[in-house]
Amino acid sequence: MSERDVILEVEDVHKSFGGLAAVAGATFDVERSSITALIGPNGAGKTTLFHVVSGFYKPDHGAVRLDGERIDGSPTHRIVRRGLVRTFQLTKALTRMSVLDNMLVAAPAQPGERMWRVFATPGAVKRREEEVHERALELLSLVGLERLADDYAAVLSGGQRKLLEFARALMTEPSLVMLDEPMAGVNPSLGVELLEHMRELQRERGTTFLLIEHDIDVVMTVSERVVVMSSGAVIADGPPDDVRRNEAVIDAYLGSPHAHEEVHEIAGESSS
Amino acid sequence: MTGLANVQFWAFVGVVAGIFTIFSLGLQVQFGFAGLLNFGHVAFMAIGAYTMAILVVKTGLSLWIASLIAIAVSMGFGLLLGLPTLRLRADYLAITTIAFGEIVRYLALNEQELTGGPQGTINLEGAGAAARYNDEWLDFQRTVQGWLEVLLGDNATRDVTMLVIVWTVALVAIVLLQILVRSPWGRVLRSIREDEDAASALGKNVFSYRLQALALGAALGAVAGLFFAFQFSFFSPNDFEPLTTFFAYVIVILGGTAKNWGVPLGALIFGFIFAGTRFLDVWPLNTFDSAERAYLRLIIVGLILIGLMAFRPQGILGKREELVVE
Ligand SMILES: Nc1ncnc2c1ncn2[C@@H]1O[C@H](COP(=O)(O)OP(=O)(O)O)[C@@H](O)[C@H]1O
Ligand SMILES: [Mg+2]
Repeated sequence: MSERDVILEVEDVHKSFGGLAAVAGATFDVERSSITALIGPNGAGKTTLFHVVSGFYKPDHGAVRLDGERIDGSPTHRIVRRGLVRTFQLTKALTRMSVLDNMLVAAPAQPGERMWRVFATPGAVKRREEEVHERALELLSLVGLERLADDYAAVLSGGQRKLLEFARALMTEPSLVMLDEPMAGVNPSLGVELLEHMRELQRERGTTFLLIEHDIDVVMTVSERVVVMSSGAVIADGPPDDVRRNEAVIDAYLGSPHAHEEVHEIAGESSS
Repeated sequence: MTGLANVQFWAFVGVVAGIFTIFSLGLQVQFGFAGLLNFGHVAFMAIGAYTMAILVVKTGLSLWIASLIAIAVSMGFGLLLGLPTLRLRADYLAITTIAFGEIVRYLALNEQELTGGPQGTINLEGAGAAARYNDEWLDFQRTVQGWLEVLLGDNATRDVTMLVIVWTVALVAIVLLQILVRSPWGRVLRSIREDEDAASALGKNVFSYRLQALALGAALGAVAGLFFAFQFSFFSPNDFEPLTTFFAYVIVILGGTAKNWGVPLGALIFGFIFAGTRFLDVWPLNTFDSAERAYLRLIIVGLILIGLMAFRPQGILGKREELVVE
């Protein structure tokens, strides 16, 4: 086996809420500069796992490593500064701020975020603001929101908020981006552009993506690797073509509410 | 005293409004910008005033050094309140501050040795000693009065001088806060106010920003306390009732939450009601005795708030868009 360059390791993570084991023994890793999909039926524990990895929850058991160093139990903001950023399934657009301010607030290394620097080094604050402004507009135009830059984010539709969150996450200059259902509610043609942009960032900057996605077509076309969760545990992990034929995966989906459609999609027997 | 035409009366209204502007700016930082519910803001005012008075009277420290220490002590108490509570949920702070405000007042009432007890600072260490911080302040005030006489001639009375000093400080505070609000620092605070999880997911240390807002607000509360001490010479625990915190909320909401220039506007309206009902001797106010007028004050404040909520829920200067409820 060739040497694998791993950016994220999730090792035997458990997380329960009262009696309910939302994540129960999840183990997998993510290779640097890859696009990896995390799939599984509703309630499988994918979002909870994201919360654990991004520092919102402390795992009951297990370890999470970023670039080989433990990050489980670290506060979220420190994890972000180490280059791991995530988006939310239920979007968290800052609706009382402009779309542009949503982007600017995400920029790292702005000296003006320290109170004393606002007064002591206004020049440095302004310079950084200009740099960041340029990048923000670039990313906004990429997701088709540049015309709404000065509007309050409250005016955005659900799909637009997903796009804003995607662009905003990129503002943090991440090395690993974790996206929780980034395509949900997004206009399909923009969704395709989004995927293209992910590939471009992967190629040009070596950015790693880990995405939770329900659209099997998207998963199969964009990702190099698929991790499947069911009832809190990782039940399969491998290239898309292997995973879609995996017995355990098909069984897991049979137990879910949309079992029939999803099994057909997974097995590639699409009805359309 | 014959009401509206009286310069003394207007100067008094102005000084009260200026002190309440500084006091309410502190709450603006905490509540308006950071979304922190501080129901014991008056305690920072009390700590500022008492620390200064005690240090000057009992240790003979200079007024200026004592004032700086008073501000620092107040900030220290702000941090002390925030450290254990803000890591949990923001509402724990609210509960703690309610208790804090009252504890500070009860300590001032009961620690007679330290604070002079219920009689206040006049009882700090004999009547003569208590005048020490006042004398030092009056010296400074006379110096400023001298400069003002060049500009204003005979109009530069003691009251007008106090008015100019208080409002200079208030305006400087507003301008500095305005710069802060528009800075990246203020932007982070706004993001935290709206959604702390979103802010931390973008790499912001929510806890640290909340502590900073709490400490900055405490400092402004202490500055207001200093001016309160200078203006009223002697003060007692009764001057720091919980109602004072409520007045600051009225001022912030009246002007428009998170709008700095709304604070002096709200404070002027408030100062007029506060001082007006105390001094104005015109019908129909003269049909009430002074205790009744104190209640009248609350009723008027309440009516104004109701009217405002009905017609301009965002405050006089607030933006409706920032009030959206999801
Ligand atoms: N904060 C919580 N408290 C209690 N139960 C939760 C909480 N978050 C998630 N769960 C439960 O944990 C399980 C996994 O949920 P989730 O991680 O959202 O799944 P997925 O994202 O794969 O659909 C579900 O049964 C869900 O109801
Ligand atoms: Mg989910």
